[in-house]
Amino acid sequence: MDLLNELESLVPELERGIGQAFSLAELEELRVTFLGRKGRLAQIMTRLPSLSPEERPAVGQKANAIKNSLTEIFDARKAALEAEKEAAQLARFDASLPGRAPWGGSLHPTTLVQEEICGIFQKLGYDIAVGPEVENDYYNFEALNMPPEHPARDMQDTLYITEKVLMRTHTSPMQVRTMLARKPPLAVVVPGKVYRRDSDLTHTPMFHQVEGLMVGENVSFAHLRGTLTAFLRGVFGAKTQVRFRPSFFPFTEPSAEVDISCCMCGGKGHHSNGEPCRVCKTTGWVEILGCGMIDPAVFEAVGYDPKTISGFAFGLGMERIAMLKYGIGDLRMFFENDVRFLSQFV
Amino acid sequence: MLLSLKWLREFVPFEGSAQELGDRLTMLGLELEELAHPYEAISSIVVGHIITCEQHPDSDHMHVCTVDAGQGELLTIVCGAPNVAQGQKVPVALVGTTMPGGLQIKKAKLRGVPSFGMICSERELGLTEDHSGIMVLPAESPVGARLVDVLDLDTEVLEIGITPNRADCLSVLGLARETALAFNLPLSLPSLPLVECGADIAGSVPLTIADPELCWLYSGRIIENVHVQPSPMRVRHRLHAVGVRPISNIVDVTNYILMELGQPLHSFDLAKLAGGITVAPAVEGEKFITLDEQERVLHASDLTIRDQRGAVALAGVMGGLATSMTAESTTVFLESALFKPAIIRKTSRRLGLSSESSYRFERGVDQLGCLRSLDRAAALMAAWSGGSVRKGVCKVEPKPFVAPVIPFRPARANALLGVELTEEFSQQTFAALGCPVQAEGDTWQVTAPSWRYDLSREADLIEEVGRVHGLDTIAPVLPQLQRSLDDAALPESPFSFWMRVKRWGKGLGLNEAVNYSFVGHKDLDHLHLPQEGRISIMNPLSAEQDALRTALAPGLLQNLRTNIAQGAAGLRLFELAHVFTADASSDTTAKETSIIGFLLYGSRYDSAWPQQEADVDYTDLKGIVEHLLAFLHIGGMQCQLASEPHPYLLPCVNVLVGGQPVGVMGRVRPDMADAFHARKDVWLAELNLDMLCTLHRAASVHFSALPVFPPVRRDITVIAPATLSVQAVLDYVTALKLPLLEKINLIDLFEPEQAEERNITFRLIFRHAERTLKDAEVDKVREKIAAALVKDLPVHL
Ligand SMILES: [Zn+2]
Repeated sequence: MDLLNELESLVPELERGIGQAFSLAELEELRVTFLGRKGRLAQIMTRLPSLSPEERPAVGQKANAIKNSLTEIFDARKAALEAEKEAAQLARFDASLPGRAPWGGSLHPTTLVQEEICGIFQKLGYDIAVGPEVENDYYNFEALNMPPEHPARDMQDTLYITEKVLMRTHTSPMQVRTMLARKPPLAVVVPGKVYRRDSDLTHTPMFHQVEGLMVGENVSFAHLRGTLTAFLRGVFGAKTQVRFRPSFFPFTEPSAEVDISCCMCGGKGHHSNGEPCRVCKTTGWVEILGCGMIDPAVFEAVGYDPKTISGFAFGLGMERIAMLKYGIGDLRMFFENDVRFLSQFV
Repeated sequence: MLLSLKWLREFVPFEGSAQELGDRLTMLGLELEELAHPYEAISSIVVGHIITCEQHPDSDHMHVCTVDAGQGELLTIVCGAPNVAQGQKVPVALVGTTMPGGLQIKKAKLRGVPSFGMICSERELGLTEDHSGIMVLPAESPVGARLVDVLDLDTEVLEIGITPNRADCLSVLGLARETALAFNLPLSLPSLPLVECGADIAGSVPLTIADPELCWLYSGRIIENVHVQPSPMRVRHRLHAVGVRPISNIVDVTNYILMELGQPLHSFDLAKLAGGITVAPAVEGEKFITLDEQERVLHASDLTIRDQRGAVALAGVMGGLATSMTAESTTVFLESALFKPAIIRKTSRRLGLSSESSYRFERGVDQLGCLRSLDRAAALMAAWSGGSVRKGVCKVEPKPFVAPVIPFRPARANALLGVELTEEFSQQTFAALGCPVQAEGDTWQVTAPSWRYDLSREADLIEEVGRVHGLDTIAPVLPQLQRSLDDAALPESPFSFWMRVKRWGKGLGLNEAVNYSFVGHKDLDHLHLPQEGRISIMNPLSAEQDALRTALAPGLLQNLRTNIAQGAAGLRLFELAHVFTADASSDTTAKETSIIGFLLYGSRYDSAWPQQEADVDYTDLKGIVEHLLAFLHIGGMQCQLASEPHPYLLPCVNVLVGGQPVGVMGRVRPDMADAFHARKDVWLAELNLDMLCTLHRAASVHFSALPVFPPVRRDITVIAPATLSVQAVLDYVTALKLPLLEKINLIDLFEPEQAEERNITFRLIFRHAERTLKDAEVDKVREKIAAALVKDLPVHL
């Protein structure tokens, strides 16, 4: 029965050996030594034929049991070592490492605002059109009810190319071009660059506008109010108050300027700490756009019959919207293209 | 327009506050821009009574006064003015007051005598320039009362923005009309009886108007025996409060009436006028010295007032120096006239000479108010100058005012405004506006008043009823849009195409820049851009902005300089914009081309670790351009090293699609980049976005079936002269059209510095559509390629 004893002794021997095995490689060595094809167990088993047939089943059974025990011991140790290894690896994992940053791009704030505004009007069913930035006096002024020597021309200092060609001072010439090119009913927004001969803290000689117009039968000032109220709430939030003040533009009548409740002070004129609001100059209102019902003279210029057709138009400056929306204080930053500025508008 | 609340109250009994008035006028279209308090700085100055006035013991020019300023105790005040005297009522600044000039009044010792305040001169009070002595107030002024009340100063002034259509509101009278309308108050004109004397002047100054279209009315009065001197104090202070500099009683009258009634007037020294007055265009080239002592060269398009010798005034703009009133003048010819707005504006603009007078004439002056203003001015002039008004008026009115009668359909007003106005409301509104109405049937007849140049059409009347009803009270309605069946199939708008490209650029990691469309000619010159075809700005703000850009490079390079100056190590900008060239065939004489520009500079990555530090190079730029074309589904891009020198790129690579050039890319010539403080290579590309858009619209996406059988890969390295392009090898192999070869890719480039040859390694990818390839057959094709390369190209293996 030496074989049985030898078999029995394998378990404590392995347990001793395993106590010394601290790596998976050492453990594998032990496994080969004990359970390999030429390992201790296998060698003992080569002697099985020397036993009597009566002894063989008992030894065979024992050998199987020992093999299972040995395997269990190995597996347990292996699992423990693997868990240790994983724990050690986890302990070394530095989640705070910076990411491998892809390039970070950005869109100009005027682009973002143009996209948002045009998007809102597209949702409402408007088409988007664009037009030339170098414009004829006719489209920029005359067809818009501003004949030569009209005092309203003073409202827009103009950069001229020749006596009759100029840098468009507003996107409104596209009202004329659009109406000439199409027939009512129509609803169009026109984003684009416009130019004035003006440069100081609050004016740049180039800026961006979006013009909008809707022309059809029975278009009314109530529609204008509805459209712009919906639009301004879309841009500045559902709680925005909208105020229409009578004003004057040569190409609309009646004309109005639209104010929204100041988003910096919540329309209160002062901040919660009592500081006067600089954005609305404590009035609680911020002027945001000009609008009105299209003047009959404009319809006549494009060959529409003002007796049957009516429409509204509006125009607003993108830089102003961006300044209010993003809290940009200095207009000149828009065209310096400092990436520290640009990269904030992702 | 600066409106004194006190002045306004002489016309309309408005009892509310200035803020209330401003808020209401704002909602009527007359926007309150600012509420000013011109005399706020002296609001704490009080009336003092000088009880005693003794010579200062240690000064020969100072006096020691005891003053009762209503403070309960008498104040000792040392005063250095020569005119100080016992018994005077004077303005006193008490201790603690801050004077308009910023001076703080403190207890002081003047040559040993303590002083508790200051007796003020007019200049110290900011009232006038007079500093000859202290201001002496009327004897009846109550002690301790506020100076601003005693002087009846215009302490509240509203700055109202007047839109160009509302010339009628460029006066106290006009704004009083609106106030009366807004608050339903009666309007009355301050009366001043006109006393005439002497023989009637009719015919004594013969008037001739050359063209009735240019001068609709010319009238004048003669005021004799005037003494030119400062106006009464209250007048001077009132003018000062509304931003007009007091000059003399004669000039001040014309300014006073201008502000009050809106009628520009002019006073000639009658003694200096030779013969009668003619209103006629100037003689071309005629020289004329205006009141501001400037010599002007006149054109035949300028309207002038003339006597026998020539021009005596630029009609409606400015008088002449030679016939102006001086201190010695005694007889005034006072002109009140009306000129065609456009001709006044033309002259004013041509000469860059905008006066309060021309500003009003350009916008329209009340023809029926012309004589009323003349009479009131004459009466005031007599009163303020001690003169007398001669009987009668010289007047010609070749084009009398005809009130426009305008049809008004209440139903149309309701439809256009989207509101239900009652007929009563509209009638009341017209009445309050001074418009007689014949309200019968569907179409009313409304007569416009002489002061409302902006009322001539129905739309103008609809605006009035809407404005008075309140545009802000019309209920908002979101309209339903009518669209046609074809609308959904309309092509993408250029804006949307640009937007998609911009979103692509942002997604790729580029920063969008927006630059001015104008640059300086010298910026274009610096980049050697051709002068031909450039468009110049006729009236640029500066030489830096006198030309429209013909390329995006000047702006992007300017941005490079800006960013280098703030310490940027790398830059990746893109911009979408128009460039402009002269084109006679365009209806605007300009050809506008959409360009997308890229500028790459310096560090390839924003953050150092774990990216390797490296600078951007040609492959970065080309990768972006290729990516853009792929994004737009545009295939067949070719790159050709430009054979002609490019103005600012070296090397310059032409980008072609289907043989058609669509743009360039390359490195900015280092000598040019230096000017923008670049220390490393600057890579720049400009592509014609209009052409890319056309190609994009023509392109379509076609799905290719996925291969079923696996590919087999073989690499091949050739040693080639450094001057042989990789593309040449790729093109050569592709041209062999080997059936099994699916693709050839560059996988390595070993280029020892200074060596004349380089090692180029390609990966050949073989595939058969219908079976798995065997190694042997693939090896055979690779050998064939190798042999062909060595045979036909200057390479070896
Ligand atoms: Zn605010």
